[in-house]
Amino acid sequence: MPTGSAHRLVAPYADALLARDLPALDPTRRAETVDFVALRVSTLPTPMLVGVSIVAWAFDLLLRLGSRRTFISLSTRVPIPFVSEYPRLIRSLAFAYVWERWPDTRPDGGRAPVVP
Amino acid sequence: MSLAHDPFGPADHIEVEVLIIGSGAGGAPTAALLAEAGFEVLIVEEGAWVDQGAVKPFSLEQMARQYRSGGVTVALGRPAVPYTEGQCAGGGTEVNSGLYKRPPHEVLEAWRADYRIADLDLDEIDTISDEVERDLSVSTVPGPTTEASRALARGAEALGWRNGEIPRWMAYPERGDALSGRRQSMTVTYLPRAVRAGARLATEVRVDRLEIVDGTARAALVTRSGGRSGRISFRHVFVCGGAIQTPALLQRSGLRRHIGASLAVHPTVKLAAKFRDEVNVDDDVPVHQVTEFFPYSSFGGSASQAGLVALALNDNWRAFSRQIIDWRRMSVYYAAIRSEGRGRVVAVPGLRDPVVTYRLTRNDRALLGASLGRLALAMLAAGAEEVFPSFRDAPIVRRAADVARLESGFRADRASVMTVHLCSTVPLGEDPNRCGADSHGRIHGTTNVRVNDASLLPTAPGVNPQATVMAIAIRNARRFIEETPVG
Repeated sequence: MPTGSAHRLVAPYADALLARDLPALDPTRRAETVDFVALRVSTLPTPMLVGVSIVAWAFDLLLRLGSRRTFISLSTRVPIPFVSEYPRLIRSLAFAYVWERWPDTRPDGGRAPVVP
Repeated sequence: MSLAHDPFGPADHIEVEVLIIGSGAGGAPTAALLAEAGFEVLIVEEGAWVDQGAVKPFSLEQMARQYRSGGVTVALGRPAVPYTEGQCAGGGTEVNSGLYKRPPHEVLEAWRADYRIADLDLDEIDTISDEVERDLSVSTVPGPTTEASRALARGAEALGWRNGEIPRWMAYPERGDALSGRRQSMTVTYLPRAVRAGARLATEVRVDRLEIVDGTARAALVTRSGGRSGRISFRHVFVCGGAIQTPALLQRSGLRRHIGASLAVHPTVKLAAKFRDEVNVDDDVPVHQVTEFFPYSSFGGSASQAGLVALALNDNWRAFSRQIIDWRRMSVYYAAIRSEGRGRVVAVPGLRDPVVTYRLTRNDRALLGASLGRLALAMLAAGAEEVFPSFRDAPIVRRAADVARLESGFRADRASVMTVHLCSTVPLGEDPNRCGADSHGRIHGTTNVRVNDASLLPTAPGVNPQATVMAIAIRNARRFIEETPVG
């Protein structure tokens, strides 16, 4: 899948999830992280990509219809087989990227204080 | 420096005597032995050539350049089980932990009896293992190991559990420490040896399917870099793409009997342990393992750079997230089990990649929980201040009494179960009810299609499988050389 298509598919949810989990992650870093997540989703094996695309499409729709905050919270808590793997995938990719790229990131996503 | 070149030139059809598909622990030694015996050999590898040292080990960049699908591959099931496959010249040997364990005799004996494997001689396997150990400089660390590694040994010793340093295929300088070794993977051992003997290596060539007529394969239809198609005619073919890609290719080529139906893995669960002092090593893995509970389970250390510590804490992020600021004092450890479960690899028409599934049994789930508890106990005994198990709603383990809460709260469906050892999708042997290949890797019902990789191992061996894969592959290659006239 072209990275652009994957980006359109996963970016709204990935961005909202990161905004909740790492509220102090600044927008530039968050955008860079979402780009990374989309890139990795675009190279998923085809059967996974088909499944993830369907779930991502449904999540995108639900994000537009209801309360963003409620949906993000529910999506990470309700253990529906397969569907609940999607938030886990997005979060795993994002966290791995954030802490590899900026290892001293605080738990809320903020930058570590600069030591003089 | 890359040993690969484009064998096609301006043509889109070439002819070779022996085509070897895959350049990892099975394909590379097969190529070296056949080329040295005088066969005209072409090795095709789907991934690219990446020089050792060009990327940081266990980093996201390495995942992107040397793993299939950036390292994001999953066996579907409850729970889904992520796994990884190397996709580069040298295959998994370029990216794995490098830990070496000879094939256990009791495992080989069980395979020989249960799967009716002819001529599986234990002395021959031992002699081949001696040879592999020389070729790959299998050795322990001559100097100090890392603190994260010693913690495993210390914890096991305190509990009176068997443990030890596992040798690796690494060349160390005299008195060098754990971080000074040079990986003796296929790109610096068997692939150069194969090329010196006249074999050719083509990277970024994917084999889409084999053309098979009346049980004899004639050609491979391939996709080359840039999307160009090609055709490679051959007299003999060895499929060595690993336990996922090998059965997928065979199925796409119309071979399905006992192919891909018996995937076996070593499922693992993990935890992050926090110590008083800094222990984190971000580009290597511990070399000690706890073997007290072998063959049912064993414990070892994982790659632990900050991103991977965050992943280990991810399942219970709300409760564990504050710990990430202490990642330098943390290291990630795993418990691996010998599973009763099995999975499948299914090539679906129209999809480029296969569907992979894996099902844990009830016993597997119980063993994973018990093993994670024992691992937590070992880390406390090693001096860990706090232990963070990787499953949803896991407790923080600070004292031995907390381990009971860990075990009672553990559910495999809530855990990060993953694996790196994939085997058994084309088991070898003469049992017609479950073997896809004969006792030396030739696919039943074909005249010239052979498998020579981890797919052949009838079960997951309970130890790191690379040594077993190489020993079986060399045995099979030698049998082929004895039976087959050159030219």
